[in-house]
Amino acid sequence: MDSSLADHDLEKLNEKDKLELRSFLANENQKARVQATVHSLTDMCFKKCVTGTIRGGKLDGSEEGCIANCTDRFLDVSRLTVNHLQNMRQG
Amino acid sequence: MESEAVKTEVIRQVKTQYAIDNVKQLMEKINDHCFQRCVPKPGTSLSGGEQACFTQCMEKYMLAWNQVSTTYISRLQREQQ
Repeated sequence: MDSSLADHDLEKLNEKDKLELRSFLANENQKARVQATVHSLTDMCFKKCVTGTIRGGKLDGSEEGCIANCTDRFLDVSRLTVNHLQNMRQG
Repeated sequence: MESEAVKTEVIRQVKTQYAIDNVKQLMEKINDHCFQRCVPKPGTSLSGGEQACFTQCMEKYMLAWNQVSTTYISRLQREQQ
């Protein structure tokens, strides 16, 4: 199959396929947002949790626990921020 | 091309693009972190020790990514209920 798409090919989409594509794109977008958060959390938590000399390619137990806690606590904090700002707006 | 074929092709291209972006982001972070950690004083060539450190650091970073991903996704699922 010719893999290149020309602009006018998109006009050949029928309504059913258009609808399906829309929901596919919404879904992929959401996945990309989750992945972006995972990238930025990993960036931050690796720095905080993997601090010793690197010996071996595995995470040790304390590093693993630290990374899970780091992720969860960051999400706690971001919720706190939202709540606090909401309170300020109402107050 | 028929509608079905156009749709399949759009899906394929979007998926490929997202996968490439994801790998790019991961590589960028790995290079940042592991260069910092494993090559503190760059010499005239990459030493065996530096290379070994870099490989291990890279493996560690990917494990960390998986750990964050699992933790984050299970939290999202918990909070959606």
